[in-house]
Amino acid sequence: MLRLIIVILLVAVHAVPAAAAPLSVRVVDAHGRPVGDAVVTLRPVGVAMRGPAPSGNYSVSQKDLQFHPFVLVVPVGANVSFPNRDATKHHVYSFSPAKRFELKLFARDQSRSVRFDKPGVVALGCNIHDAMTAFIVVTDSAWTARTDGQGVAQFANVPNASAQLIVWHPYLRAPANSLGKRIAAGQRSESIVLNLRPPPMAMNNDY
Amino acid sequence: MNSSGKRSSAAAGRCFAALSALLAATPCAASDLDFLSADTLSLTGNVRLSATSGEESWVDGGFGKLDTSGHGDRVRVIPELGQVNLVWQPRFSWSLSATVVGSLQGGERTEAGLEQAFVSFKPMRSERHRISARAGLMWPAVSLEHEGADWHVRDTITPSAINSWIGEEVRPLAAEITASTSAGEHRLSATAAIFVANDTAGALLTFRGWGLHDRTTLAFRRQPLPHLPEEIEYLQPRFTHPLLDVGPGFAHRPGYYAKLIWQPPVPVRIELFRYDNRADPEAVNNDLEWGWHTQFNHLGIAADLGGGNQLKLQALTGRTRMGITEDNGIWVDNRFHAAFALASHSFTNGGVAARVDAFDTRQHGSLVTAEASETGWAATVAGHRDFGPVTAFLELLHVSSKRAKHPDTDLAPRQRQTRLQGELRFHW
Repeated sequence: MLRLIIVILLVAVHAVPAAAAPLSVRVVDAHGRPVGDAVVTLRPVGVAMRGPAPSGNYSVSQKDLQFHPFVLVVPVGANVSFPNRDATKHHVYSFSPAKRFELKLFARDQSRSVRFDKPGVVALGCNIHDAMTAFIVVTDSAWTARTDGQGVAQFANVPNASAQLIVWHPYLRAPANSLGKRIAAGQRSESIVLNLRPPPMAMNNDY
Repeated sequence: MNSSGKRSSAAAGRCFAALSALLAATPCAASDLDFLSADTLSLTGNVRLSATSGEESWVDGGFGKLDTSGHGDRVRVIPELGQVNLVWQPRFSWSLSATVVGSLQGGERTEAGLEQAFVSFKPMRSERHRISARAGLMWPAVSLEHEGADWHVRDTITPSAINSWIGEEVRPLAAEITASTSAGEHRLSATAAIFVANDTAGALLTFRGWGLHDRTTLAFRRQPLPHLPEEIEYLQPRFTHPLLDVGPGFAHRPGYYAKLIWQPPVPVRIELFRYDNRADPEAVNNDLEWGWHTQFNHLGIAADLGGGNQLKLQALTGRTRMGITEDNGIWVDNRFHAAFALASHSFTNGGVAARVDAFDTRQHGSLVTAEASETGWAATVAGHRDFGPVTAFLELLHVSSKRAKHPDTDLAPRQRQTRLQGELRFHW
């Protein structure tokens, strides 16, 4: 019995780091301006990867001929709804390897939903309105967050271990639009500078 | 309706018959068919209050560049209904739709009619390539200032000289196809089109010169011409039908236009456009409306400077010829040029813009001679603020032009007009 208790305690010690603590990551551009819509993923070294719970209601709405939000982070297995709040129809699609799909023509106040079952970045478009674009980042990590308007991503409880920080942004000048950075165990804040390219201009062909 | 109008109507009728056949040949899923729901209809328009100085507007039969007249040095203040546009965009399948725009234009000369009517085919794109097509009565995609199905001006009330002319004289019955592709971070697009019923393009530009206004030509309607040079006043009526096929048979000499767009991996878009209506300059109809062989090349550049700042540049150079070629040359040979730069800044719920235009016409004809040439410039500043479905605009515009002689009038060679204009623009 004593041996069983010791085993359970050892497993618990390894599964839940003893000193989980918050981490704040600030992302700025080359001019020091905060970068919103960057997605920061933390991969602690030597700690079992914890998957996020596919809970909550996720949606990418279409309003004023734009997707909202521009970047959405969802866990693997999440269902995302695509409500149309515009007076015109939309035809939402993605060619991304993480999820190829097509939602043909749905009208105002109608919605469609898609299940995202593989991790990766899914680029969205509308076949009618070429200027519409957005991204869904499907993550298999519980430690993934999107930067807010101040360029800050907050993690409430991260393991007390060194970790690899991976930052992705749709306009980041780097392979796969992402870069990595090592942080030390116990580090509570980090600042990352991104070299961004300007957003592309739309090819106007909206007829 | 005179013979010009009948010929235009017949041309349009054939075109719409062809479009109907296209629709009939396209399979439609019942769930995709949306013919007359509320989502297919929208209503746009504007009301204006303007204070204008200077010469009589071309709309009133003068040479004035604007669509409102002044009282010489005295300011003329008038409230007016600008436009009301009813936009109908039915959808026949997920890839096939149509756009029909009926417009009521107020101001100095109120008239209603059809502005655009075309069918669009836009199949699902592939990862890197897109093909799309449209056919019908439509403006070629030259303007960097206009947007939306109702073709409204985005940053100002009054469009540039280039896009004013496109709106009034360059809207043919066309069939166009566009192919777009991505090459790395570069994006390329090519458009080719054939068109008919634009044989008189250039008449207004030649006799009046350039204009600055948003008064587009409605299908089958005429535009007034100012006093004509006495050498030609018995050879050309005091009007022009911009939607007209002159000469024997419909589509006897179709014209073409082509466009290339290059978008490098910086926020800049570069557009090249070529137009040739291939009209026969010696063709004439019973109303004495002639074919005007008009060609032009156009360069457009749009740059996003960041922080809500945009810069747009357009430049156009062309030539139009009309009439019989005699020993001393063809009756009309007008070489025209125009350019503008528009800087704009957008902020939450509004924006400001400033534009500078330069333009000229060089007349080398035997009947319309060098003394009818003109040069000019214009400066425009405008601001707007959105209040839900209503947008309020305020614009100050000054235009100055010079020509050696204004036929049959005592106008001085140099003419200036200044206009302060407020507009409430609505969209439902």
